[in-house]
Parts: sequence; C-alpha cells; structure tokens
Amino acid sequence: MSLTIEIEQGDIHVTITLSGDVDTKTAPELLSKLTALELHALEQLRLDLQAVEFVSSAGLRAIVFAKQKMPHESALYLIGASEQIVDTINKTGLAQAVRIVSSVDDI
Amino acid sequence: MEIERIDNTPTETIEGYRVRPGKPLPFGVSSVPGGLNFSVYTSAGTACTLVLFSRSEEQPLAEIRVPDHYRIGDVYSIVVYDLDYEDLEYGFRIDGPYEPELGNRFDKNKILMDPYARIISGRDEWGADPDWDRAYQYRSRVAFDDFDWEGDSPLEINDADLVIYELHVRSFTKNENSGVKFKGTYAGIVEKIPYLKSLGVNAVELMPVFEFDEFENSRVHPDTGEKLYNYWGYSTVAFFAPKAGFAASGKIGMQMDEFKQLVKKLHKEGIEVILDVVFNHTAEGNERGPSISFKGLDNRIYYMLTPEGYYFNFSGTGNTLNCNNPVVRNLVLDCLRYWASEYHIDGFRFDLASILGRDPWGAPLSNPPLLESLAFDPILSSCKLIAEAWDAGGLYQVGTFPAYGRWSEWNGKYRDTARRYLKGDDGQLGEMAQRVQGSPDLYQANGRSPATSINFITCHDGFTLADLVSFNGKHNEANGENNCDGGDDNHSWNCGAEGWTEDRDITRLRTRQSMNAIGILLTSRGTPMLLMGDEFGRSQHGNNNAYCIDSPVSWVDWSLMDSNRTLFEFTRSLIRFRQNHKCLRINRFDHEGSRYLPSCSFHGTNAWEVNWSAESKQLGWLMSCDDEETGHMDAVYVASNVAHYATWFNLPQLPDSYQWKLYYNTGNLESAYYENPANYDEQGILVGERSMIIFAASPRET
Repeated sequence: MSLTIEIEQGDIHVTITLSGDVDTKTAPELLSKLTALELHALEQLRLDLQAVEFVSSAGLRAIVFAKQKMPHESALYLIGASEQIVDTINKTGLAQAVRIVSSVDDI
Repeated sequence: MEIERIDNTPTETIEGYRVRPGKPLPFGVSSVPGGLNFSVYTSAGTACTLVLFSRSEEQPLAEIRVPDHYRIGDVYSIVVYDLDYEDLEYGFRIDGPYEPELGNRFDKNKILMDPYARIISGRDEWGADPDWDRAYQYRSRVAFDDFDWEGDSPLEINDADLVIYELHVRSFTKNENSGVKFKGTYAGIVEKIPYLKSLGVNAVELMPVFEFDEFENSRVHPDTGEKLYNYWGYSTVAFFAPKAGFAASGKIGMQMDEFKQLVKKLHKEGIEVILDVVFNHTAEGNERGPSISFKGLDNRIYYMLTPEGYYFNFSGTGNTLNCNNPVVRNLVLDCLRYWASEYHIDGFRFDLASILGRDPWGAPLSNPPLLESLAFDPILSSCKLIAEAWDAGGLYQVGTFPAYGRWSEWNGKYRDTARRYLKGDDGQLGEMAQRVQGSPDLYQANGRSPATSINFITCHDGFTLADLVSFNGKHNEANGENNCDGGDDNHSWNCGAEGWTEDRDITRLRTRQSMNAIGILLTSRGTPMLLMGDEFGRSQHGNNNAYCIDSPVSWVDWSLMDSNRTLFEFTRSLIRFRQNHKCLRINRFDHEGSRYLPSCSFHGTNAWEVNWSAESKQLGWLMSCDDEETGHMDAVYVASNVAHYATWFNLPQLPDSYQWKLYYNTGNLESAYYENPANYDEQGILVGERSMIIFAASPRET
C-alpha cells in the first residue's frame, strides 16, 4: 500500500496529513519530508493520522526523530490516530514525545 | 565546513555495495557515518561472508564475501554503506574445517546469527508456528538507540532492603482474568505495576528474557495432545536481544523499546529489575542440535568439549558454554555491561552459576576469572550479582561460591531448612536459627553479610507455596515425561489430603502454613524473595517443574486474589512491617544490637532458653537495633510453634519504657494481622498449633 503525504504550512504550525500505511517501505518518504522542514525552529507539528491504519517501527522512529530535532518547548500532535497506533505508542514509551488528540479541535 | 574523514569513505564495491575495511571493535553491528560496521570473531574459520536480507525475505539481498585483508587477528570487519537499517536483516557464513573430533563444525552452507545481535526477528509473536524450511531462523537486525529515558537510572537499593518478586513475563498476566490489555507481555507487567506497588515489593526478578525459542524441543503430550514448549526459556538463542515474543509490539520489532519502557516505569515506582540470565549453556544443544551461531563460528572456543569432540553437559541441557575461555568471558562481560547500561538493569541472577567457575575441562577453579571479572567490573559495580550456586554436574557451592565480596546467593539451604521446619520435622531448630539470622554458618567466616543470602521458600523451580502445603509428592504428568522430571526432595506436606479438598480443617491449615512460611521469610535477615502469586495461593496443581506448560496451569490465576484475600493482605502487611522494622534488615553479622537487647537472640517457650533437642518444635527469635531516626529501640519478637498442639510462650521482657504490641497471629485466621495493633501487657501468650505470632516493641505511652 502506498502513502500520500500532504504538507500544509500554517502560521505557527505545519500540518502533515498522511493517508495509507507508514510501513518499512514508505517510512523513508515520511522521514525525508520531515527532515526537509525547518524542524529546529518549528513550534508545532501536526500529524494527521486519521487515514492511516498502520505505522511501522520505522514510521514511529521518524516521528520521534522529528520531535528530537524540534525545540524543547515545541509540540508534536498526533491527530486521530487509531487505537492500535496509540497502544503501540504507549507500550513502547514514545507517548511522552507526542500529544495525542482525536481531532484538530482538541489542540 | 564539514570535513569528510578519509577513513570513512568506501574503498571498493562488492556485489553492488560500497564497502571499506571495518573496525574490529565493537563486535556485532554498529553505526558509522553513512554505513554500518559489521564485526565478527572466528579463530579457526577460514573465510567470512556477510549475508544481507530485506526484512522477512527468504532469499538474501546480497552475499558479501569479506576480503581476506579486512581481517585483523581473528576478527573480520567490514563497513557497508547505503543500507536501509530498518529493513535490514543479516547473518554470516563462515567457512572452515568440519572435523567434529577436533571440535570444529564449520559449514559454509549455514547462515549464522551474529552472537552480538541486539535484536532478533524470526520469533516475533509468541507461539506462532515458525516456517522450519527457512534456512535462516533467528535473524540478526540493527538496533536503534533513540529511547527517551527521561533521566532514569538504576535505583541502587541496598541489598538488605530488597524484597524480590520472581516472575515469568508471560505467566504473570496471560490469564484472561489478569485484567490487563496486553496479556503475557512486558507491557502487561507495566499495567500491573500498581499491583506490585501495593504489594510492596521493590524488585522484580524476571525469568529469562534473552531471546529464546519456545519451539526448542517443543512437542505434543502423548496422552493429552497438549502442545508443550520451551516455556521458561532457560536456553538462550541471543544474549543481547530481549525476547520479541514477550513484547506486545514484537510483531513490529519494537521489543527493545517496550522492554525499556517496562524498566523505566518500574524504576519510577521504586522497583528494581533483576534479570535471570543463563550463561551456562545455549540453545544449540549437543552434536544433534542446530547450528545457530557459536557452533558454526568457533565451536571449539565457545563450548566445553570432551577430548573426542563431544559436548560436556554440566548444565543437563546438552552443552556447556566455555565461560572461562577469555573470548567467552569477554562476551559474557560485554553482554552484562550492555544490559546494565543500555537497559538500566539493576541486577542479575545467574542460572546454574557454579558452571561459570569451572575450567575448560570442567574442573572447579579456586579463583575463576569470569566471576572475578564480573565482581570487579566498573560498569557492573552497583549491579546485584546473584548466583544460583550449584550446577547440574554435581557442584554445590552454597556458602562457598567464589564471591569476591560482591556475589550473593540463592540460599538453597534456607529453602530446605524452612520447609522441614515448617512441617514439623525433628531436629530442625538449630539450623533454622542459623537461617533466620542470615546464615552466619555459611557466610560469616568468609567476611560476607546476611544479605549475601537470598532467602526463599519457593521459586519457579519446584512447588508453588500453595502446592507445598497441598501435595506430598510431585504431579508432573502434564509434562509428558511420566512424572520422572522435577525434583523429589520437596520437603512438602499436604496437610492431610493430597491435592484439592473440601475439608475445611485442611484448607484452613494450608492457609495457616502458607502464612507461617511467609512469616518466617519476611522476619529473617537476608534478602527475601517471593514467587509470583504465592501471596494469594497460586497453584500449579502439584506440578513442580512446569517448564514446558503454557496454559492456565502455569499462568497466574488472579481470581485467587479474592478467594485467598486473607493470605494476600497478610503478605502485603508483613512486607510493610519488614520495611518499617530496621532490626529485620540488619546487614552485619557483628552488629551489636540495641541499647537494651542483643542484635539477634533465640528463645523457646521460656524467654532466653531454647530447648535445642531434636524433638523440640518451638522457636522464638528476637531482633533489635537502635533506630537513629526516631531515637527509639526497634525490636521484633517472633514466636513460632510447629508442633501439632498449642504451646504457651513466656515473652522476653522489655525495659519499662517499652511494651509489646501484637501484630500478627496466624493461629487466628479471622484476623491474622492487626491494622491497629494493641498493647500486649501479658507475660506470655498461647501460640496455637502450627502457628506463629509476631510482636514489635513500641515506646510505652505515658
């Protein structure tokens, strides 16, 4: 399954809307899109995962990588992640790197 | 401007991959700018090929024959550039002579796992049938070190203050009634941390978590048709990798993160993590076993071999790792350093540790280099090192294990004595008195301390506590070995009926005996260890060796929490009592006691007098110290009666400014422990049949 990545620049934030699966094959695309952002100066990153069913370890590591490059006081929101994805994030200790919300209105 | 280092550029292209000579250290795979450094040792191998796979593909991506000039000494190393780390699996082919009689078993047709692999795929989901046709079963992968520890570090709790809880990762939460979402996994234990916290234990000892294969020697029970596994996992495949099948996220290869999360969460709640590690043998078995890694890398180095090239079997499981060979010794050291630093592990318990003190021909060494190296290692210096101080080859070293002032021991003599004493055997008082005070007969003369002794009455090996008081003999039919496996020296007593019974007198006696066992354990000096579920009467239906059982028989049944509430509350309360009374945790044999009382004294039915004769069944112990924080004396008196009749005990007198308070009485199951202990002003007390009573001194209210 392929992955489409849409990037939208807001005033203080960037929204990345993903659709498809973030698996071993597609995660490098996400990582290269993320690294192309000005991460070190980004206050807020919103990853919309409503149309994503599966995120592999490579995908999760790409997300953690982005947060590590962002400023300390910045926020990385995961929007509409499935229960399975949220479970994985909690189990593997990535939860403290991200803020999990069900919709963009919760930000 | 960033300067490109000349020693980090590819020098040639092999099989389409840009490569250069690697660095021999560290062994295994490590990341270098733009590439991965692979390094593997073989002393008798004559050629090395690095085999690369795309994740879970059957056929290799490439086979890169490591050029001979890339070898330094006995180490082949190579840097390969432009690899997809996430997708990569790798192994080695080593060529060399096949001469079993000389100890060499090279076979270039086999793909071997990296012995330093930090993450393994191939057994990602517990119990999922493997594809045995695959040439390469346990596949080395590349590990990532991006976990956020949030400032965590090992807890370094004093040995004498520990209360250890031994558990099997899967058994602990696999049962439907465990109440957790991720049953049978590391994440499942995280969900049970509030429970562990409420019980009051401050260390968990995890049965093996190094990658093992539950399908090793798996079989079907001839009568029941039930599948039998290598369930406990005392048979290591990969020493540096956490077992994927124990991780709820193992399917996506995130077992490292999940295990680290477990350690971090336990540490946050003040609970240490001790790993049960198995270095005495590996999963490769004997000459009939598979070549997974060591056998094909350098059989003669890694295993103890007979002059004919067969495997010595001091472990009882097929082979014996050659731990006092310097190369193997370094592997063990590297492994433990890795777990201590990468996973923040607080301590290690060494399975059949006496093997680690044998020379390459099996003879016990007086000054074993491996044990010494571990004892004085700078990275392991605050790790607990706990020996199972015996092996399957007949070496029994409880009290004589080469300790270098660092090693503590599973005290098998404590277990045996406490069991015999509990069931009222003749002639046990003298030895019980030694065990209660931290076994000075074993540990004082060589300058060791009470916490050298890991005290336990039950552990994974043998009966659970509930079974210890319900069965006279083992009932291991479910293991499919005609009840021939498992120990016969259980020192158990069924209290009047073998196994399950409705007889209320018997079930009450069993509860009382369980409380007595926990009472003795938690009022002894040394470090107590409990087995998971014993605090609420977990049973394995008389199976004393459930090493192969993956079923509700071996899983903790959490519904027992309700049916055996009294036992649970008693245990929980007594753990707190132990933590509140320093005098029970004194870690010196030369401690002088408090201003009023000796450090540890023994009593009989009359205070200060013990009837040490063989028929005597009553023993009291009084422990005391001064508590600098409160300025008061701390004293605990335990009166234990293992006779089948009630007995009057005269209490040791306290100075006028103190009085006894009665905390526990196992003779009174309706209220075996007192939330608000009352002052006890009588001169003596009637201790019921097979019962114990525990008092503590408190300053007299004026």
